[in-house]
Amino acid sequence: MKFKILLAGDGGQGVQTIAKIVSECFFVKNFEVSSIPNYGLEQRGGVSLSFIQVSDKKIFYPKFAKADFLLLMSDQARERTLEHVSDDTEIIDFKNYQEIILQNKISRSSLNIFFLGVVAKFLVEKSLIVKDDVFVIFEKKLASKKNWEENKQVFEVGFLI
Amino acid sequence: MSKDAKFCMGCGHPIVLQTLYKILKNNNEEQKSVLGLDIGCSLLAWDFLQVNTFQTHHGRVTPTMVGFKRAKPDSLSFAYTGDGGAYSIGLQSLLWAAKRNDPVTVIVVNNSVYAMTGGQTAPTTMKDQITLTAPVGNSEEPIDGLALVRAVNKKAFVARSSVNNPKQLQEYLQKAIESQKQGNFSIVEVLSYCPTSWKTFGVETNNFLEELKKVFVIGEY
Amino acid sequence: MLEKRFLNGHEVLVEACIDAGAMQMFGYPITPTTEILSGWINKSLQNKNLHCLQTEDEVAAGFAVCGAIMAGQKAFTATAGPGTVLMQDALSMADGMRLPFVALIGQRGGPSSGTVIYSQQEVNLAIHGGNGEGLRIVLSPSNLEEMYTLTRKVFNYAYKYRFPSILLTDGYLLKTRQSFSLPETKIENQKLLALVDEASQKNIRNIYTLEKELMSELEKNKQDFEEMSKEIVEFEIYLGDNSLDEIEDLIIAHGIVGAVAKEAVDELNKQNKKVALFRPITLSPFPKDELNKLAKKIKNIFVCESSLGQLHDLVKQNLEVTTKISGIFKPAVGVEVEEIVDLVLSNK
Repeated sequence: MKFKILLAGDGGQGVQTIAKIVSECFFVKNFEVSSIPNYGLEQRGGVSLSFIQVSDKKIFYPKFAKADFLLLMSDQARERTLEHVSDDTEIIDFKNYQEIILQNKISRSSLNIFFLGVVAKFLVEKSLIVKDDVFVIFEKKLASKKNWEENKQVFEVGFLI
Repeated sequence: MSKDAKFCMGCGHPIVLQTLYKILKNNNEEQKSVLGLDIGCSLLAWDFLQVNTFQTHHGRVTPTMVGFKRAKPDSLSFAYTGDGGAYSIGLQSLLWAAKRNDPVTVIVVNNSVYAMTGGQTAPTTMKDQITLTAPVGNSEEPIDGLALVRAVNKKAFVARSSVNNPKQLQEYLQKAIESQKQGNFSIVEVLSYCPTSWKTFGVETNNFLEELKKVFVIGEY
Repeated sequence: MLEKRFLNGHEVLVEACIDAGAMQMFGYPITPTTEILSGWINKSLQNKNLHCLQTEDEVAAGFAVCGAIMAGQKAFTATAGPGTVLMQDALSMADGMRLPFVALIGQRGGPSSGTVIYSQQEVNLAIHGGNGEGLRIVLSPSNLEEMYTLTRKVFNYAYKYRFPSILLTDGYLLKTRQSFSLPETKIENQKLLALVDEASQKNIRNIYTLEKELMSELEKNKQDFEEMSKEIVEFEIYLGDNSLDEIEDLIIAHGIVGAVAKEAVDELNKQNKKVALFRPITLSPFPKDELNKLAKKIKNIFVCESSLGQLHDLVKQNLEVTTKISGIFKPAVGVEVEEIVDLVLSNK
């Protein structure tokens, strides 16, 4: 078993926060995990990517050509990740969530937490993680930061769609 | 026992080195002293004194002694360099050591030329001075390295002396050592003879040094 | 069973340096090794025995390392790309004076500022970047566990043999977060040595008056290097399901590409290809005898690397048989399992 996840958004949207929480969920479930951000010049005002792989065997190489699952948080990100999409790639595109985001008045700064919820639900349905783990790790990473109460709610909104 | 030095006849380096050694010996501090040497004529000091010495690279003695002192704070760390090593290729590190107030003592022997390589233009070459790389005279004004150091460090001991005033030289070196002991950066620039590069004889050499003194202000900064 | 943790390469390296007994880091920020500097600084806030200076440039960092080593402190630096170029000034002094200089290098794309995360283009620079014969120890890890162990070895070799020692890695391995556990066997640290101390007077040179003086120093260094090589040379032969006798093709790769190639060997095994991987762990000294022993029975050699041929050249230099060599040469770009598999399968 090997599952390849690509998270993509604009620099500053919080893609790496989602990546950290999701990868740690795999780790606590005793999977082999490999997670690598693509930093660098590109990230300055550009696209921020995170390549995550989860497997029951040791992972040697942190990047991959085609993703099994892709999260898109911006138009720029969609352009940038075209090469990583195959016919089998399952995609969550922010475009399809605009209405819910508006309805729930989700702020720009909490957008990544909303999508953390959406991604978490997707991965729970795939039986790759369990919701309780997500929440424990989410709390560990963000409870001491500002907007925690808001973030908690936003996560639930994303998860319950 | 150290071997004989290989400085040229009439060179100012032995005066600076012996003055330094006299102070260290008087204070009984030869053993805790370490003399790092830049490349240039400074490197010839490697077996001149009975203290620990090591050669470094051109322009790199200051950062090397910064590392040494940080690793061994109870040492007396000296960076011994020429004007090219200090103010040209090594200027960045000199200023940053000063800016951080690293407690090392930099001794700059200023003879206004790159002497080891035969007498080329240095950052301290005077306007109109003739050198191998300025055969019709240097078109630029020389740099005042000490003013730069002072600009980035108010606590450091900063002074300029000359080899023909050994009493003052001794006083400044002593003060520089005190400054290091108090945890501050210090630098002493010494105007020095280079009859070989200057192509001067006897009293002409001293006259050349006196000309240098008109351009480089003697005293504490 | 040792505790499993979820760490990235930077965190593993900082931990390895602390465990190696390093007390001071001098460095200048450059991607992808900046987090070693910031990681070390964070550790030094908790442990007062650890010191750090962010210098004005890589040149100063390198020479400050030299100075600290002279004074008897285990010190190191970390750098990358253009920083590795600047580091050659101090590394060359360490070459000349046989200083136990430790540098952690995170290769990034070159030449010039290039790209900032990944490459395997600093092999030549790590080994031969000085104005001399390249008597340096260069180790290339393929995963985080190895990165830890090899960093410990880099320090130990530097102090035991007194040659500049380099851990040569890349930004992929540094930035990848994976599960990591410490090695089962405890690694002892080599004792410190102060080159300059109060007990004795030393005058240490790196410039010589007579040509012959320098030559005899270098001949002695070369001899020491060769004697040491037998003790430290390290490599991996990965056979997958094959036995050594039946191998026909050989893939040669180092670092993270070596890890990828292992997966390719497994895949090729499934397709009945009699292929193995030879992975040099010490790029310098190169495992020459071991490669030649293996290469005698081989039909094809495939060198795979993220450079236009720096490993290839190293292999050629050391290979005594005239086996045909082809390969994958992708400067500053990663090599993937499928590419290696296709290369081996398409070879006639």
